[in-house]
Amino acid sequence: MTTPVLETRNLTRRFGGLTAVDDLNLVLPGGKLHAIIGPNGAGKTTLFNLISGLLRPDAGQILFRGHDITGLPAHEISRLGIKRTLQVKSVFAQLTVAENLWITFEGSNRFLHPLRDAASDPIARERVDRTLEQIGLAALARRQAGTLSYGDVALLEIGMAVISDPQLLLLDEPTCGMSPAETERAVMRIREMARTIDIVIIEHDMSVVFGIADAITVMAQGAILASGNAKDIAEDERVREAYLGRPEDEDYVEEATHA
Amino acid sequence: MSTPAAINRVIFVVFSIFMLSVPWSVPVLISQFWVSVITEILIWSLFAASVNLLFGYVGLLSFGQALYFGFGMYGVGIGIDQLHLAFWPAFGLGIVAAVTMALISGVFAVRLTWHYFAIITVVFSLIFYFIAVRVKPLTGGDDGINFSMPPTFTFGHSAWSFTDPTFQYFFILAVVTCCFYLMHRVIRSPLGKAFVAIRDNDVRASLIGINVYLVRLTAFVMAGFLAGVAGALFALFGRYASASYMFYQVSGEGVVWAIVGGAGTLFGPIIGTTLFIVIREVVSTHWEHHSLIVGLMAILVVILAPKGLVGLWRVALEHLERDRVSEPASHALRIES
Amino acid sequence: MIDTLLLLALNGLIWGLIIALIALGLSIIFGLLDVINIAHGDFFMIGTVLAWFTLETTGNFWLGFLVAPLIGFILGALTQRVVIQPIRGAAALSIVATFGLSLILQESVRIGFGPVPRRILPPITGTVPLFGIEYDVYRIFAAALSIAALVAFFLFLQHTTIGTWMRAVRHDRDTAIAMGIPAKRIYVLTFGIGFALAAFGGVVAAPITTVDFRGGVDILPVCFMAVIIGGLGNLPGTAAAAVLLAFFEGIIQSVADPTIARIASLVLMSAVLLLRPQGLFKGYAR
Repeated sequence: MTTPVLETRNLTRRFGGLTAVDDLNLVLPGGKLHAIIGPNGAGKTTLFNLISGLLRPDAGQILFRGHDITGLPAHEISRLGIKRTLQVKSVFAQLTVAENLWITFEGSNRFLHPLRDAASDPIARERVDRTLEQIGLAALARRQAGTLSYGDVALLEIGMAVISDPQLLLLDEPTCGMSPAETERAVMRIREMARTIDIVIIEHDMSVVFGIADAITVMAQGAILASGNAKDIAEDERVREAYLGRPEDEDYVEEATHA
Repeated sequence: MSTPAAINRVIFVVFSIFMLSVPWSVPVLISQFWVSVITEILIWSLFAASVNLLFGYVGLLSFGQALYFGFGMYGVGIGIDQLHLAFWPAFGLGIVAAVTMALISGVFAVRLTWHYFAIITVVFSLIFYFIAVRVKPLTGGDDGINFSMPPTFTFGHSAWSFTDPTFQYFFILAVVTCCFYLMHRVIRSPLGKAFVAIRDNDVRASLIGINVYLVRLTAFVMAGFLAGVAGALFALFGRYASASYMFYQVSGEGVVWAIVGGAGTLFGPIIGTTLFIVIREVVSTHWEHHSLIVGLMAILVVILAPKGLVGLWRVALEHLERDRVSEPASHALRIES
Repeated sequence: MIDTLLLLALNGLIWGLIIALIALGLSIIFGLLDVINIAHGDFFMIGTVLAWFTLETTGNFWLGFLVAPLIGFILGALTQRVVIQPIRGAAALSIVATFGLSLILQESVRIGFGPVPRRILPPITGTVPLFGIEYDVYRIFAAALSIAALVAFFLFLQHTTIGTWMRAVRHDRDTAIAMGIPAKRIYVLTFGIGFALAAFGGVVAAPITTVDFRGGVDILPVCFMAVIIGGLGNLPGTAAAAVLLAFFEGIIQSVADPTIARIASLVLMSAVLLLRPQGLFKGYAR
């Protein structure tokens, strides 16, 4: 039994009177593309915030490949290899697309050189160019990130998440706000990346979830409702009741059940 | 090379030649007194640059840079007056004092952001202003202390000293130029890019592995260094140090010069400082209420040209480039038809 | 010794009430418009100058209580429309703008009023026995006036439509706008009221301080201290902090000099900023 890539033990986080994440014990074995779904307010983004270090847990532990990362600051967790995108897509608006990728690549260095010319590093440049190709934004390299369409910003975010060799990638609603064409592009990229990187995604779009996820965890009210592969989840009565009971999702659920 | 870059390059060359010739050209063109004024402009530009580094690049508005200016100034002043240090040890003391103070206060200040950061920088500077006023025997309070200048370089029997206005000018020009060059390098470095990333989106910056607190602290100490050098030069230049230069209005003027000149640009602080000091000198000979003009200009620039004068210049250059680029095409069409 | 302590303590208390008025003006400008108003001390100074001018031209000091707040309100409203509004909330730029305003106000007064500080004689002279010492009648009157103004202001906030709108905008700008509250007009009003409060404080204070174009420079840090220590957006807290700060500075002055007292307050302010930025007092939390 190999060490799970991510594990939470009794993870709890409260906001005033609201318990957003409630004694959560989640195990992500790794090697699969894991999706976390659930209604709004289930605590999914809070979970991501806890894992990535933007929030401190009130109780419990988070283990990354067996190492306790509870309470570490965000930049430390990022340097360990956990990268994420945000629910509301945000990049460095004043920098160009290429610069956004570049700073992400350089950012995890412990020492930022104060005198060397940033543009002169050939390794960084090559990496940036390669990533631009991967996400398909090479044509927009010199554009200011603030002027990009929402879909392109999402792609850039994914590029930023990938360029730094992530060990674990957390994608928070990566296709949110995208057109169907953009969604297809994004899904392709994510599937490609999932071949070499452990990915966890939060998604509301059921076609995406049942299309690419190997394992699904359903959250509600800060706790895990059910966990398993796509087929099991689709057939789970509690899940159907709590979350999947929407007519438009029936098709995907049917597909998954008969897959 | 594109046209705007070429224009900028030419201006820079002309400007440099002028600056190198000041001790000889200015007395002829205007008066000897203006050599002093230009020397002062150099010193205060460095001060404005310290504000600009923090605000224009990292997004932290400090209203208390006068504190580090003051430490630099008093390091030299007390060093020469009370400790009877020679030129270089006193200069060094001023800079070390300013940087140390910036490090200590920065550790606390940088934990805050935005309004609270601006306020605490003022509070720190006020605390030390009042302390400086209080320990009058040491600092001379608001009246200040005067002292005479030990020589800078001694070779056997001859010496170069600040009492020679030409040497003084070139020394200060050299130091200020070095500092601006260092700033230029930092801005283009990975650290400099991290500054801008943090200013843009500090949460994102931490998520990509940047230690936001440490980078901000580094910027704060660097800005303290610049302000400290300015203060030390000021004391050496005027042979004078006074607590009144640690008051928040001095910090405020630095902020105005930096923003009016153009925040986030290398030359903005120089242009802003030059504008206001020239106004002060020119107007005050005829009318003593030049502060009125300073206030009006600050408001006008903030409303009409929030990117400052350098910002306006860049927009103008962009228009020029666009017009020029569209010209050749229409020319070709005319020829064809 | 006790007499001096008592005297300074009472003086401190009364100054605290006056500063509470001024600090409230600063707080509503900060709280509603997100503007750090560097010129606020100068609003107070203008109040003192207007008191002097009213006295000079009409021989009636009391008229100043009408004239100063009125002119202050107009000036404040004008400033908001002409200077602050076009900048539209770029916080750093508004600091530069108010700094410029401060210079303009100080220099204009220097031109119109002169560089020499002047004094106004209190309209009521004489002393009353209070806690065993002879205390200035006017100062007691000033205290009463300040308290009345503070009460009136809080009543205005709680019980009038405009006051409620102001509280709504301070609490949640976007919802307030969505609910149809005319935010722009509220901003203009807020700046006007802030100026008026400070000017009123200036008239109250004029007979017990000097009328000087630099009179605002010392008041400004104290007002900010009250706002921060009392808590941003916590108006009663700000008022309470102002009174307590001035009171304690007054007491410390009996054993040490004013500079030490000021340093102590500033250190306290730093501590609050670093450890408990929401202020020391519980109240209407932001």
